[in-house]
Amino acid sequence: MAIYTLGIDVGSTASKCVILKDGKEIVAKSLIDVGAGTSGPDRAINQVLENAGLKREDMAYILATGYGRNSLEGFADKQMSELSCHARGAYFLFPEVHTVIDIGGQDVKVMHIENGAMVNFQMNDKCAAGTGRFLDVMARVLEVKVGDLGRLGALSTKKVAISSTCTVFAESEVISQLAQATDKCDIINGIHHSVAARVVGLAHRVGVQEMVVMTGGVAQNAGVVQALQEQLGHEVHTSPLTQYVGALGAALFAYQKASR
Amino acid sequence: MSIESIVKEFQAVAASPARQLDNYKAAGKKVIGVLPYYAPEELVYAAGMVPMGIWGSNTKTISKAKEYCATFYCTIAQLALEMLLDGTMDKLDGVITPTICDTLRPMSQNIRVSMKKLNKMPTIFLAHPQNRKPAYGLKFCIDQYTNVKTALEEISGAPITDEALKEAIKVYNASRAARREFVKLAGEHCGVITPTLRSAVLKAAWFMLKDEYTAKLNELNAELKALPVCDWKGTKVVTSGIICDNPTLLKIFEDNHIAIAADDVAHESRSFRVDVPENDDPMMALALQFAAQDYDVLLYDEHSSSNRRGEYVANLVKESGAQGLVLFMQQFCDPEEMEYPYLKKALDAAGVPHIKLGVDQQMRDFGQASTAIQAFADVLEMAK
Repeated sequence: MAIYTLGIDVGSTASKCVILKDGKEIVAKSLIDVGAGTSGPDRAINQVLENAGLKREDMAYILATGYGRNSLEGFADKQMSELSCHARGAYFLFPEVHTVIDIGGQDVKVMHIENGAMVNFQMNDKCAAGTGRFLDVMARVLEVKVGDLGRLGALSTKKVAISSTCTVFAESEVISQLAQATDKCDIINGIHHSVAARVVGLAHRVGVQEMVVMTGGVAQNAGVVQALQEQLGHEVHTSPLTQYVGALGAALFAYQKASR
Repeated sequence: MSIESIVKEFQAVAASPARQLDNYKAAGKKVIGVLPYYAPEELVYAAGMVPMGIWGSNTKTISKAKEYCATFYCTIAQLALEMLLDGTMDKLDGVITPTICDTLRPMSQNIRVSMKKLNKMPTIFLAHPQNRKPAYGLKFCIDQYTNVKTALEEISGAPITDEALKEAIKVYNASRAARREFVKLAGEHCGVITPTLRSAVLKAAWFMLKDEYTAKLNELNAELKALPVCDWKGTKVVTSGIICDNPTLLKIFEDNHIAIAADDVAHESRSFRVDVPENDDPMMALALQFAAQDYDVLLYDEHSSSNRRGEYVANLVKESGAQGLVLFMQQFCDPEEMEYPYLKKALDAAGVPHIKLGVDQQMRDFGQASTAIQAFADVLEMAK
């Protein structure tokens, strides 16, 4: 009989679920664009069960992760930190991985992986610079959708430096660039390099080793990935499942628990 | 008394220093506030007064202190001033302001000016010598301690005799020994003495007369000694930093089955590592104790290039049976920030995993710290 496990990643800006069959096959996934403290987690859970045609009772083990992981106490069997889950999920998708960079809604994490296990990590301090929130703020100032930043940044023809590391000051810097009629695409490219610079500093504290994998929603932004590659000097691998890596890792740990 | 009831008493004291202050004052005692670090509390005790430690607050918000402080002062110092300004400490009869770090130096003047302006209480300036071991350093230290002694005598209205000071030194040495023993026992019985309880027991020392405190702590130590050593299934760490008494943060340790095997914390073990020699010259004895202090980021180390402190901390982790170290980095603490690369180097060389958590006393959201601590527990568990 198949063993189904559910991984739930309640992030700060989105809720993601993955159902795994026998720890190998993704049978369903769901994503709701609101996270901790909202209806997002419940909606994501209902949706993933519906997509899989399964019920809560069919789940052998449920594991929650992400910023809002504690909110599922009573529903989930266990909760784990998103760092462990991202590391596990990235190892499942890229067995050669040694460095995982996860840029989430409000924090940045860099993990060093050996044989699939996280052996060291670094997180950003209490500062939004270099996070998804930083990109959200910049997109709002530039009056573009955050999902369009990657595409627009690729159209840049001139280098613009956004030097402030503080989100608030960088916002002023962007406004100042707009006032000088600097091309939006060039500003966006500058923003991507600014994010990358913050993340690279953190990554070097852990030590960067091939293969480098980027997870989290920001990995969908090709501009940030490109800037990271340039500044790290390593190829940065991403997956179409990038937003689900935490939930996938949670479902994998859940399978480990269920099969014991 | 049972372990639980003794610990509850310490918890009550640690949670409400204001009540302690009220009680001592109601009993007719004079009370002297003592800021960090290394103030010779023995002088206060010998003067028949009660020394009470001032290490900021986990519940107050900086407001009035902003009038005096630059934004980059650590929250411990700012909240200490806040409580001196907002009436919390109006019953104090004086305050000693040591000046061993770059924040406390100007802060001593902020406190002096504000207390005078508001006509609140006398302030006692204390500058420890940087070169604490040579004869001139000892002489400087004795001169400074003599100033403190004279100021305390003015407040108490009576001279501090050598005999009273020698007795105070005995009381304090006994208290330091009891706390060192408690730290060891807490590490061995971490299933009973959780990080929260450990913190409360050690924190209470700052708010109690040391003879009362030590008697109670000896009772607790005896009860702990009678227990079988705990077969701890979780992980053990050493904590490091200026202060880590935030109950919410310590609860996160407990939620992740992390016990504290030992500490390198200024508010805890760094304050009772070194005893005062019991000799015929008690003022020199106090200076010799300060000279013997070591392995502290705040103290000048003539051999700093050999990274002795980093090695000391790495050894502490190994000798205490811990698997890693959690460094509580106080925001804007220059000495700790500047030392960190050297500490990291020593820990890495010794193969000791660690995490650095940025903290301040106005932190109210612990989501990020919780994630980091849980992930660290995962790393330590996998390395077992």
